[in-house]
Amino acid sequence: MKSTSKSSSQEHNLAQTGDTRVSAKISRETISTLSVAILCLVLLFSARLINPALGSWSQIETVLVLGFFLVVLSFGQGLVILTGGLDLSLPATITLGGILATNWIGAGNPDEWYLLPAVLAVCGLVGLASAIGVIWLRVPPFIMTMATSIIVASALLGYTRGTPRGTAPDMAVALMKGDILGVPAPIVVLIIFVIVGWLFQSRSVYGRYLYAIGTNIEAARNAAVPVTAMRILPYVLSAICAGFVGIALVGYSSGATLRMGDDYLLPSIASVVIGGSLILGGRGTFLGSVGGALLLTILGTIIATLGLEFGFRTIIEGSIILIALLLLREELFQKLRSLKS
Amino acid sequence: MSTVQSDPSTMIRSNENPLIRFATGAGLIVLTYVVLYALHAFQQPRALTSYSIAALFNNTAPLALAAAGQAIIVISRGFDLSVAGVISICNVTLAVYPMDGPGGAMASVAMCLAIGGSVGLVNGYLVAVLKLQSIAATLATMIICQGIALVILKAPGGAVSEWIVYEMTDRIFSVIPVSGLVLGGVVLIWLALKRTSFGISIYAIGADETSAALSGINVTRVRFLAHVLAGCTYGLAGFMLSAQTATGNPTSGTPLLMLSFAAVALGGTALTGGRGGVFASIVGAATLILLQKVLFSSGVSSFYTGMFQGSILILAVVFSSLLARLGDTK
Repeated sequence: MKSTSKSSSQEHNLAQTGDTRVSAKISRETISTLSVAILCLVLLFSARLINPALGSWSQIETVLVLGFFLVVLSFGQGLVILTGGLDLSLPATITLGGILATNWIGAGNPDEWYLLPAVLAVCGLVGLASAIGVIWLRVPPFIMTMATSIIVASALLGYTRGTPRGTAPDMAVALMKGDILGVPAPIVVLIIFVIVGWLFQSRSVYGRYLYAIGTNIEAARNAAVPVTAMRILPYVLSAICAGFVGIALVGYSSGATLRMGDDYLLPSIASVVIGGSLILGGRGTFLGSVGGALLLTILGTIIATLGLEFGFRTIIEGSIILIALLLLREELFQKLRSLKS
Repeated sequence: MSTVQSDPSTMIRSNENPLIRFATGAGLIVLTYVVLYALHAFQQPRALTSYSIAALFNNTAPLALAAAGQAIIVISRGFDLSVAGVISICNVTLAVYPMDGPGGAMASVAMCLAIGGSVGLVNGYLVAVLKLQSIAATLATMIICQGIALVILKAPGGAVSEWIVYEMTDRIFSVIPVSGLVLGGVVLIWLALKRTSFGISIYAIGADETSAALSGINVTRVRFLAHVLAGCTYGLAGFMLSAQTATGNPTSGTPLLMLSFAAVALGGTALTGGRGGVFASIVGAATLILLQKVLFSSGVSSFYTGMFQGSILILAVVFSSLLARLGDTK
């Protein structure tokens, strides 16, 4: 299975360098991103049949605002997974961002313009610690990020003595509740974030480096890719994204709790996987993950309006992830390719 | 993965070098546990009474069994997140449908094993037959299981049958803890299983799947059975957890998810597969639980338990891989 995945991502690389075969042109990434996007649209419109209140512009607005958190997280998680790791420290880092924003800064603080970036920097340090453990201490990413997560969560518990205090900084509230030219601010920020993220991962040289490392780290080293720096970067970016989500969550709900990040870890991995990434690294796109995150969010809102019990909601969510995994299996793509060519 | 591929047979028979045997076997973690226990007994002389020992075993059993199942999957090179879901389903089932008396307890155990086994069947089919990535497939089954647990019991409540609660946490002849016997039984079954061709195959497919397949091992079958076996062990973990908590909680399995991996890693089992053991993982789980007690009696606020657990986890992994590497270079 591993060898077939390598060969197909090489095929994908060939597509970039001008292979003209039809089969090579339709990359796996394009198909999975498109199918997730189509599934999103189908869900949105079919929701109208269930309940006329759904599928309207205001519902799309709600989905985008709610999906904001998951999209941002899936960017960082996606980068870490791309290089063959996994970031389990997201919940603790989200909470760190949220609690620092409320405890350090709070509402009406004139210094927030430099304190908020400082909060992000502290979160980035958590990512740096994970990266150091993974690269130099050679602790498996799964264990290392789990350990940083346990440590940070415990430090926060001690720091707040169990009850976080404080209020949301004004800028965080403006980010989530304000609007820019009549469009809700989080949607504008989301669109900018998606464009920048896509440019970084799929169009910049750094993105290419990350794919190279995820596909074959030795080959990447031989090709003069700055391997160490490029392995640190995903963990730091992922932690900063998590901190940003923590601040945004505080702006959205106007307070921090010690468990505010817990519900985001598994969905962040699920978004990346549904978006067509290989969990072993080397393959996947940010646009796919965005689709995965929005799909999960749309699903959540539809199920919520259906008035189903929370248990059934969870079962449906799990089943969708399973169906996505089954549809994205390697054999299906190979069959599809052989049909085309 | 940049792990050194080595011949599976040397992995199982383990090197003659005592250092590497110490690092890859259960020696290191057992030593850690003994030192920690001595510290615990020094702080609290009462810890040596059979009552305290039984209480410690009762606290340890659920996590230890979860870690035992997880270890089987990790050795065969995989991850199993469904452990949390299985434990939750078993717990709520026992709380919603309590069956009293020894007969009821037997039926309850059978039910838990069946629940775990069937989730294991699904996992096995997805991972071994359909070749889905284990972490992704079991993520999906875990979420579905959590949903099922919530459907069975919406909010914490219900009561586990009294017979299970009293007898499973009791001591035989007021000395031997029942939960200790359950753990001992699982260890014995594993030690026997490890010597069968199935047991050896689990290590072989974890160390190098291709060469295992080339040497005639039916990889699909072994991986499938490993998931079923692990599922049954989680079911048992759910049973012991219910005996300890005496009540139902649809999310009772969630805290055990991360800790089961921590216990496996602490026991020296390589997350890249092919190396480690069930017994070491059980001792790893026991160490995590004992650590909480030692920190508590040392006067460390329970807020900071996690900082110690996390640091010890990193230290253990670094130390054991360092020893293993020292042995390898020889």
